[in-house]
Amino acid sequence: MDAVEKANTERQKRWVKDRKVGEGTYAVVYQGREASTGRKVAIKKIKVGQFKDGLDMSAIREVKYLRELKHQNVIELLDVFSSKTNLNLVLEFLDSDLEMIIRDKTLVFLPADIKSWMAMTFRGLEFCHRNFVLHRDLKPNNLLISSDGELKIADFGLARDFADPGYKMTCQVITRWYRPPELLFGSRYYSSAVDIWSVGCIFAELMLRIPYLPGESDMDQLKTIFRALGTPTEEEWPGHTKLPDYVPVGQFPKTPLRDLFTAASADTLNLLSKCLIYEPRKRITAREALNHPYFFALPYPTFPSKLPKCSTHFNSSRPLEEVDGNVEMNSTGPGVKARNGALKRKLTSPADGEGKGRSIARRLDFSRHTPGS
Amino acid sequence: MAARPAVGGWLKGKTVRKGGALPSNTHTRSSTPQVQSTSSTVFGGGVKDASGRTSEFFSMDDQCPVSPCPICNKVLRKLAFTPQTFEDLTVEKEVAVRRRIAKEFNKRREDFPDLRSYNDYLEEVEDITFNLINEVDVPQTEARIAAYRAENAALIELNVQREEAYAQNLKEQEEAERRERELRASQLRREEEEEREEREKDKREIIDKLESSDKNAAKLIAKSRANALKRSSARAASTTVIQSNAKLLRTRAATDIPDVPHVPFNDNFYCYEDMYSMRQGYDDFFSEAVRKDREGIMRAGGYKVEEAWERALRFAVAGLDLAPLVGSEGVQESFPPPTESTGDVVMSVS
Repeated sequence: MDAVEKANTERQKRWVKDRKVGEGTYAVVYQGREASTGRKVAIKKIKVGQFKDGLDMSAIREVKYLRELKHQNVIELLDVFSSKTNLNLVLEFLDSDLEMIIRDKTLVFLPADIKSWMAMTFRGLEFCHRNFVLHRDLKPNNLLISSDGELKIADFGLARDFADPGYKMTCQVITRWYRPPELLFGSRYYSSAVDIWSVGCIFAELMLRIPYLPGESDMDQLKTIFRALGTPTEEEWPGHTKLPDYVPVGQFPKTPLRDLFTAASADTLNLLSKCLIYEPRKRITAREALNHPYFFALPYPTFPSKLPKCSTHFNSSRPLEEVDGNVEMNSTGPGVKARNGALKRKLTSPADGEGKGRSIARRLDFSRHTPGS
Repeated sequence: MAARPAVGGWLKGKTVRKGGALPSNTHTRSSTPQVQSTSSTVFGGGVKDASGRTSEFFSMDDQCPVSPCPICNKVLRKLAFTPQTFEDLTVEKEVAVRRRIAKEFNKRREDFPDLRSYNDYLEEVEDITFNLINEVDVPQTEARIAAYRAENAALIELNVQREEAYAQNLKEQEEAERRERELRASQLRREEEEEREEREKDKREIIDKLESSDKNAAKLIAKSRANALKRSSARAASTTVIQSNAKLLRTRAATDIPDVPHVPFNDNFYCYEDMYSMRQGYDDFFSEAVRKDREGIMRAGGYKVEEAWERALRFAVAGLDLAPLVGSEGVQESFPPPTESTGDVVMSVS
């Protein structure tokens, strides 16, 4: 047994798998614990064998970015090890997600609760952006909630670092309902503003308790957006008609947000409108958002442990999507992931800038040993 | 009839026979009864039946005849009639008496200083009840009741109110329980409906799959069974939540951790901000395409070249503090090996 294998076995011994809690397209998720402390963890076993060209892209992305990001509002990757042909990610165990909380009609949200969740989301996202990582799949489902109410951004399966100037990125990212118009128009050059749009949609959803812009198809998504926010003019969003997939979808008048969000304060609507600005470069950044008057105004954001949450019994019944992020194929959800194969998330993705060259990984070593030692 | 006192005879419901002799001092239309008539019809008002009793009334002058029982001399009024509940009339009577007594003798244990006086009171009530039922000393008993009523009017009223409040309370509670039951039932119905639909859908899916795919039929069926099981367990779990949720909300309100004002950032992650300052623009080769961007598609898509510049700058300054590598000879010429501190994934290609 060489040093690499030995190190791997040692790592593997640190964690105990307890029970299977779910299975997705590219991973099986187990609940487990740290052998020495008994701390609860989620172990995500990536199925390697299925993909002829090696490891699934999202697994690589997840490892690549979560190794870098350590923040209170980002899910923590505790360890990585391999077992036989599988790759195992050891993640922080979190009991519920924001989607479950929004859907649970028996819970009542106070404006202060929404403020608290938004602040935590923006903090986590700002940290990603500060480290030049785009999340590219923000939705309530991927915002996990720990037992003490802390919100953590999870599922970095579609994340990537900011593209170098002139490099293309794929526009087939972000679950449709949370996808910004520039991606729907096929833009290959975008920025952190795409995540801000998603956060804006989540913000609205927290207030409405139903998805704000539920388009039925990509084309319908644009229509839904324009119906809600008005068709953008050339002045509002210079150059959008030149985007690759631009199609005129009809003229819709602007309706004030106040008409739909009748109970929201002026600060709230101001921040929401800044998250949903058409021109991406004018959209508020996570850093600016955290300094927005909305957060400083009364009421103060709810202390995390006091936030409404589902009971723990319910949580253990469907932890898969939380940790895995892979929507089941027969799910009725609108997720991009459900569009089997349409989404380029595998290594072979030609349009994707990342993963060039190193497309085959036959053996993986996640130890800190220098090769050859 | 003639034996009875004539005054008010008509009023007392005495049958007035046609042509029958009547004392002339009756208060009613004095002559009416005397007038001979060939039929039982009438004048001046009431229609009389064969026995001469007024059965229909026409004018305000017609008065309702009240007739006491000819034997026991009791006046019966329709208003006081009640449907008979018990076959045994003595029981019926006892119940009626007790109902009447309970209305006024409604003191409670709390109204007495000790058990002894309460028991005395109960005995008195029972005494009165017995007397009324068995018609022993009725006038005296009635007098006792009247005296009691006069003495305790305020307390009686108070106890009546208490009783009403209690009844109201009970009613509300029952109502709430009923609503909850209905809610649960409707939820159950909805769930059953959903379950049924899902089963139908599954069935259709299996058939579709069997049609289109070349997979093993047994496998497909087993898979869909597993799915159904998963769903039903999830549903079972969700129902328990709903029940416990009210409790959850309450506990939430009970906790008293104070909310604190918003702090924009709560991490102290160092980004080398003090080691560089951004310029308005950089004339670098790499971003030329973006800066020119004749079509404006990069701008419209939201690409921010500033972010790339900042990244380049930060990465450039991040390494400045690191001490140069020390090691064996010859290392300088080759690339430095990955350091211990990088947690990067190392791929060893065999």
